[in-house]
Amino acid sequence: MSQLLSVTDLCKSFAGESVVKSVSFELNESSTLGIVGESGSGKTTLVRSILRAIEPDSGTVRYNSREGWHDLHSLSPKELLPLRREIQMIFQDPFASLNPRMTVQTILEEPLIIHGIGDKESRKQQVAKMLEKVQLDSSSASRFPHAFSGGQRQRIGIARALILEPRLVVCDESVSALDVSVQAQILDLLASLQSELGLTYLFVAHDLRVVREFCDDVLVMYSGNVVERGSVEEIFNNPQHDYTRLLLSAIPSPDPDEKLQPLDRKSLLLDAGLTV
Amino acid sequence: MSELRELTPGQLAWLKFRRHRLAMIAAGSLIFLYTIAIFCEFISPYTPEQRNSRAINAPPMDVRFFDAEGQFNFRPFVYDLELTINPDTWMREYEEDASTAYPIRFFTRGEPYEFWGLFEAERHLFSVDPNGPGYIHWFGTDSLGRDVFSRVLYGARVSLSIGVVGVGLTLFLGVLLGGFAGYLGGIFDSAVQRMTEVLQSIPTLPLWMALSAALPAAWSPITTYFGVTIILSLFGWTTLARQVRGRFLAMREEDFVVAARLIGANDQRVVFRHMLPSFSSHIITTATLAVPAMILGETALSFLGIGLRAPVVSWGVLLQQAQNYQVIVMTPWLLLPGAFIVVTVIAFNLLGDGLRDAADPYSSLRQQ
Repeated sequence: MSQLLSVTDLCKSFAGESVVKSVSFELNESSTLGIVGESGSGKTTLVRSILRAIEPDSGTVRYNSREGWHDLHSLSPKELLPLRREIQMIFQDPFASLNPRMTVQTILEEPLIIHGIGDKESRKQQVAKMLEKVQLDSSSASRFPHAFSGGQRQRIGIARALILEPRLVVCDESVSALDVSVQAQILDLLASLQSELGLTYLFVAHDLRVVREFCDDVLVMYSGNVVERGSVEEIFNNPQHDYTRLLLSAIPSPDPDEKLQPLDRKSLLLDAGLTV
Repeated sequence: MSELRELTPGQLAWLKFRRHRLAMIAAGSLIFLYTIAIFCEFISPYTPEQRNSRAINAPPMDVRFFDAEGQFNFRPFVYDLELTINPDTWMREYEEDASTAYPIRFFTRGEPYEFWGLFEAERHLFSVDPNGPGYIHWFGTDSLGRDVFSRVLYGARVSLSIGVVGVGLTLFLGVLLGGFAGYLGGIFDSAVQRMTEVLQSIPTLPLWMALSAALPAAWSPITTYFGVTIILSLFGWTTLARQVRGRFLAMREEDFVVAARLIGANDQRVVFRHMLPSFSSHIITTATLAVPAMILGETALSFLGIGLRAPVVSWGVLLQQAQNYQVIVMTPWLLLPGAFIVVTVIAFNLLGDGLRDAADPYSSLRQQ
């Protein structure tokens, strides 16, 4: 398994407030890395900086493309364009991430047009194939996003991300806005697409149960720092950091009689020497 | 399951617009007015400078179907006017002379004109027999004996088009400057913002006057027309630019815009394919509501004698004749262009309201 992404000392602050503090990690091909943490812990800022949707203050993001390693942040927009094909993102809110004025056909076709792939006829076929892959009816192509449910829209978002045949897909809370049964469908879909296409996922989530189900490795973030990193088994069975224990203690049990007993946040965090 | 008909956002908006009765009426009136303006040479019975020395300051003539004996005539007609000078006041007074009727004929030959300045023609939609002594002045005549109806129609062309041309220019400036300010931010944004504030804080009337004074008096009517349009738009773009800037700022962070950038779309594509279309309806509405301001601006400038000047005929120029008290008392029909301005402005406002409601996805179809 070769390395696909390597992030070193990534920092980003907004108006003097440090949001991501010197984060480093590596990501192997065809694996799934979960990034967990409470809201405001810097997960989204981290992944958006990796995608260059946000310019980070310092640090490097190196990506191992088909042509070798690239430092993503030293590339000009023109040089970045071919790499955009390889790194795609699935958004959190399926209602906000699709342009309401475009039909599904236009939405899915646009990435192909931008990257100059195929002609009109072959693009149409590719869109139809992609819709089938995400289990949407082929008649969906002529419709507008407002005609779809949340889960269906998220499938459109997935189709848009995958139509360029990327290698790395960043899922920014991609199932958080969906209800539990739809969540399961989308996760199944993502998993089957992974085994079919050999995708690598960077999976941002705050729901630990989803992460346990879906990811190989976990990165635990707290106020901009990576506090713990390990495989799913290690993190869930033998958490080393107090903050990880705190997060795990907050998972509700499926048994309604079992009372949820989250750990006392203040004492734990003071022990860990982290400021609240 | 039967096939459900899929409506595009445009179709939905049109459905909603059609239910807005007032806006539909307004749209109808505006189409009517613009049609008249486009074909004014043909529809008007006289040319704007044609003088009728026998009818000076004549009141509007009634178009009749029934004659003095109460008999119905299939062809409408007007009665001749008899001029008497009031020996006490020395005023011209016109009296209808029921003994001479002039029937109205359609597609008559009359004063030759150049249609759209392109080809010569002499047919008019309606008039009385051009070879006879009769005349028809539906809206009366002015102090030089010119037909007010014809002049109002010719004025409509100038006044109605200046609104549209001016708003076009305003939109261009507003979207361009506001869009760049919102999209680029930084120094350019600050510069545009300060410029907007300065322009909005200057009282418009003195500034208009100053700029109009800068238009050379020797300019041809058509250059003056464009000069006035540019002056009006130079001050009109600020509000729109602010709105566009605000929208751009908010939308730049919107998920679907970020998504577009992540699939590799360049700035041009992001702006024109993703950002502008999502508030094009807002721009259309703003534009519609801005047209009356332009028309009123032109009228105000021309009324004050610093906008368009005779021989150009616009509603503002026509109203200039009605500036004094004497005119209002003795020849009130010279105020008729004012009625057209009122109708146009109200129609544009209602149309803008209707468009705004139609474009708003949160206004329900079931309302009204």
